[in-house]
Amino acid sequence: MRDVRGDVVRRQLNADHGIEVERVRTICGYLIDAETPAEAIALRVADVFADPIIEHGATNELLLSSAHFESVPEGVVSVGFKPGVTDNPGKAATDGFLTLFPDDQNARISTYITYAFYGLPEGCDLHWLANTLHNGLIERAVVGSAQDCTARAWPQLDYPTPPEQVFIEPQAVDLEVADEELESISTQGLLALNLAEMHAIQAHYRDATTRAVREAVGISPDAPTDVELECLAQTWSEHCKHKIFASKIHHIDEETGEDSVIDSLFKTHIMKPTHDMQTEVDWLLSVFHDNSGVIAWDDEWSVCMKAETHNSPSALDPYGGAMTGIVGVNRDILGTGLGARPIANTDVFCFGPPDWEGDLPDNLFHPSRVLRGVHAGVRVGGNESGIPTVNGAIVFDDRYIGKPLVYCGTVGIMPRTLADGRPSHVKTPVAGDIVYMVGGRVGYDGIHGATFSSLELTEESPSSAVQIGDPITQKKMVDMVLEARDAGLISCITDNGAGGLSSSIGEMAEYTNGCEIDLASVPLKQAGLSPWEILVSESQERMTIAVRPEDQPAFEHLARLHEVEATPVATFTSTGVFHVRYNETTVAYLPIEFLHDGVPQLELESAWAPPQHPSFSPPSDANHNQLLLEMLQRPNIASKETWVRQYDHEVIAQTAVKPFVGVERDGPGDAGLIAPIHGNPHGLVISCGIAPRYADIDAGAMAAAAIDEAVRNAVCVGLDVDKMAGLDNFCWPDPIESSKTPDGRFKLAQLVRANRELERVCRAYRLPCVSGKDSMKNDYGTGPDKISIPPTLLFSLFGDHPDVRFTATSDFKQAGDRIYLVGTSHNELGASELAFMMTEAGAANGIGGNVPRLERPEAQLSTYRALASTIREGLVRTAHDCSEGGLAVALAEMCIGGRLGAEIDIDGTGPSDLWGRLWGESLGRIVVAVAPADETAFCSAMKGHPLTVLGTVNGTDDLLVLDGDEELLRSPVEALVEAWKGTLDLTGGVV
Amino acid sequence: MTPHVAVLFGFGINCDHETKAVFELVGATAERVHVNRFVTGDVSLDTYDILAVPGGFSFGDHLGSGRLLGNRMRFAMRDALRSFVDAGKPIIGICNGFQVLVKTGLLPGPDAGESPDFIQRASLTLNDSGRYEDRWVTLEFDPESPCIWTKGMTRMECPVRHGEGKFVMPTASDLDRLEANHQVTVRYVDPSTNLGGRANETVLPYPTSPNGSMRNIAGICDSTGLVFGLMPHPEAVYARWLHPNHTHPSSQPSGEALDGWEGEGLQIFRNAVDHVKATHRG
Repeated sequence: MRDVRGDVVRRQLNADHGIEVERVRTICGYLIDAETPAEAIALRVADVFADPIIEHGATNELLLSSAHFESVPEGVVSVGFKPGVTDNPGKAATDGFLTLFPDDQNARISTYITYAFYGLPEGCDLHWLANTLHNGLIERAVVGSAQDCTARAWPQLDYPTPPEQVFIEPQAVDLEVADEELESISTQGLLALNLAEMHAIQAHYRDATTRAVREAVGISPDAPTDVELECLAQTWSEHCKHKIFASKIHHIDEETGEDSVIDSLFKTHIMKPTHDMQTEVDWLLSVFHDNSGVIAWDDEWSVCMKAETHNSPSALDPYGGAMTGIVGVNRDILGTGLGARPIANTDVFCFGPPDWEGDLPDNLFHPSRVLRGVHAGVRVGGNESGIPTVNGAIVFDDRYIGKPLVYCGTVGIMPRTLADGRPSHVKTPVAGDIVYMVGGRVGYDGIHGATFSSLELTEESPSSAVQIGDPITQKKMVDMVLEARDAGLISCITDNGAGGLSSSIGEMAEYTNGCEIDLASVPLKQAGLSPWEILVSESQERMTIAVRPEDQPAFEHLARLHEVEATPVATFTSTGVFHVRYNETTVAYLPIEFLHDGVPQLELESAWAPPQHPSFSPPSDANHNQLLLEMLQRPNIASKETWVRQYDHEVIAQTAVKPFVGVERDGPGDAGLIAPIHGNPHGLVISCGIAPRYADIDAGAMAAAAIDEAVRNAVCVGLDVDKMAGLDNFCWPDPIESSKTPDGRFKLAQLVRANRELERVCRAYRLPCVSGKDSMKNDYGTGPDKISIPPTLLFSLFGDHPDVRFTATSDFKQAGDRIYLVGTSHNELGASELAFMMTEAGAANGIGGNVPRLERPEAQLSTYRALASTIREGLVRTAHDCSEGGLAVALAEMCIGGRLGAEIDIDGTGPSDLWGRLWGESLGRIVVAVAPADETAFCSAMKGHPLTVLGTVNGTDDLLVLDGDEELLRSPVEALVEAWKGTLDLTGGVV
Repeated sequence: MTPHVAVLFGFGINCDHETKAVFELVGATAERVHVNRFVTGDVSLDTYDILAVPGGFSFGDHLGSGRLLGNRMRFAMRDALRSFVDAGKPIIGICNGFQVLVKTGLLPGPDAGESPDFIQRASLTLNDSGRYEDRWVTLEFDPESPCIWTKGMTRMECPVRHGEGKFVMPTASDLDRLEANHQVTVRYVDPSTNLGGRANETVLPYPTSPNGSMRNIAGICDSTGLVFGLMPHPEAVYARWLHPNHTHPSSQPSGEALDGWEGEGLQIFRNAVDHVKATHRG
């Protein structure tokens, strides 16, 4: 029998480090802490711990010493979890153990894995090897050297018993101190509250009425308890309150002389346009206020979507951080309205270059390890939850070494009306409803996630801010919650994410204007947690659900059936107070109004001056053949198939346009298209756009390009442009001017420009933003080695498609099909992939110049509407958008998908030199191919829109591109395939 | 009569919705039933005519795919499952469901004429690639198989979505016996070859065989042909619009369901429903 786990390690050591190891064998270890005697367990090993056909098993004996290991390894590494870290295999093993030994209810199992190495290269350090196999933040490793192995002194791991937690009684925190002391209370306590916010809290406790009320309920009258201070810090965190987007900004534009004040970017540029559009259409059901935005899809069903980021945790533990990201956003969908069912995921990642050879700052992983870990986390989280990943992107730039961006999105569906007549998108809690915590338990893990993500990453960042998701616990909960919804048992639901119970119950309590929580009733993973820790812990897989008292028995019965823990922890009230008890003692007593609206508005300074870059000027002569092959190998362009194929993109049997298309199923899909109601071809399009490097010239252009790309991709599969909705996810470096951030005014001006373009383009496209999120501290370090990410907007889109049978894919279909360019190429090579590539290679002086702009978005929408109609009418079966690498790369990808050649003439495609027409990244452009029989009808439908014939698909094996009489490039399609598919296959193959 | 199908769900099974849907598309009634409703006796298995164990990640595949759910069924539903099989009622396990049926011992099961003994005789283990992958493969069915689910089927394209799909048995003679009984119902095949009814036993290269299964085995049945399991997902090809090449002009109308947009996979479910109708004595 082949040891596949060992083979994977062997291949990865080779792929990542060039180290050849002859053989690696693995052993799965289970540390059992139980009353059942070992002899009894030994009899059942093959029933649960070892497969009787393919594995060997033993108890209280190390397999390394057994006859199953015919020779002595040269080194051994065992890796297990640290105490308190989520151990999913261990949890499953415990469950399996209880099936066999149901009386041993306190049994618990922890897992580890042992790697035995044979044929290690000379001088290979085992401790280094152990470091590549584990993350010291969450795992522990022990090592056995060659001498140890010869002596059969195998390294051993003990059961990881967590240290005792010391219960600390709630205490008052004296805020009647000097300002420096106030700041230090915030910093020391990881509260991330600024001085103005500390003053606002101080003022609340100076108020005479406040003091009298507090006196009466027996809580410290003139000072907050630690529970209250933590609760305010969570609720007022940048992560929860979006204080920068809500701030008052004094904006100066040094180019135009503008000097103005913006009162909340969010309200001005995002909320207002959407609310204006809401008055004109009847399908915007719920925007901004819930966990995701909801639109009516047809008379029976509504759909919703949400995207989140999980950047800081993914930097510290790429696997756990990313998994928590994806299962977390799934819960946002489950927590929308009265509960929606997650049906599709999207994943967009931004990483440092996978082949990075430069220095790495302390505590940062190599980008290839971040890629591997994040990918694995999202893969496990999505696949095990049974939610297909239908769309995504991976973007590379040096600056993401400092902070990777991990965007996870989820689409959900729900019946518009429940059986009891309630519309599913409206929460209906009343005072007196019982609030349950459902799913996982509360532990020490995940304390301070929300406030931590509102700080920059440093060497001291706490490991408790990292958690590992548990998709199976969550899947059981999703099954149960959706049954409870359909039975009409839920009056209100939200997820427990950032801020834990403090945020989830706190936000829901706004509906009834009050709640009363008893922290002593909250089930814990380990005893000894202090009240404030229970309130703010972000332990995963938990929903907060309100149930009418008369529905409690039915609700609890469902929970038992599904083996989901559901515990009443609070009651909704109408007292106006967020009231928290620990048993009978009141530990927090905060007015709902102060909790939610008491945070003072930030006042910030913004100043725009355009950044200066040497202009990109291409050489007078160039080998475009060579450039094309090099461009196809650029990580930003190269095929991501190895990675994306490991996501299940077809579960639920609905995916009509998959991430891979074409005869060999390896051409790129532009957008996901799903038909979620079985037997019915009514479709939903899901797409995204992201163009962070344009922000090097202008963050406004970056935002416009991201929105246009999302729409353009969706149009390629036949989106109905009159029913689409968007999500804006901003990831920014810290834009607040300070000693740590001397260029804060400029970074804030970038944010202003991005928002203004977002409003301009979305209004023109009639594209409402229905949900969004921002992550505003994406920097590493504070000193001269500080790394700030490029300002990055991910724009996600979901929209209607009336019939998935009439759609298009990017692959050329048949020789003879006529190829057209929809749109116009301008001389826009500023910040293009070509400019970056040639500048990095020393073949050009810089990336400056004209960045792609969307000058006439209204006309563009009209072109998209016309083109999408031709696709839905079946006139067009081939469409592909032009993005990174422009027309040349788009054509190459279409040849790859169809394994067909083409002859192209780019003459007449726009007012630009050949560089701009061949490589430029002008927006609004889509390449289509049309069967000759449909050509007349197609051209007539596109009349009045920019349309140029490019050439013909042919039976040759070459892509030939001419500019009038001049041959620019001629390349065999197989060479294009090889270049495009080779770069990012970092798996080391399959043998 | 209308056959009534129990589609198992819970603990990480995740293809329950589409598995229910495909049975309904071919004229059955189907119900998603949580495993624990059978375990607690809340619902009785013998009120159903067909049992489907769908794909998914029961218990996260920890301790081996299908092991823990298989154990729950092996210990808590033993008698109910034995009576169901003895009554000649069809069972299908797809992907994780196949893994579950193999690990409970229902597949390949004991020799002809014997009741299920719940002894595991084969296994499904990690793909040779070491990776979970979602990709389309071509399948070839054994026309002489007693399997009632695959009657009349020859070749079809179908997605596989698994990390542990490599079928193994302890010895070559175990495999010989299975083949001799035509219990090797379906194998991975190179679409460019025509084997003329012969079985290809040399393991095909990746990715033609996505996992390195012994003798390219993709699915097997028990000696009666009523219990069937396979790693690929025929329910995911219920409609032609789910085929990756459906935008290609070579894609032609097919089947009687969905206005000529019926997918190749639907016939498997129709076969079982027709079988129940034909054998029903009422």
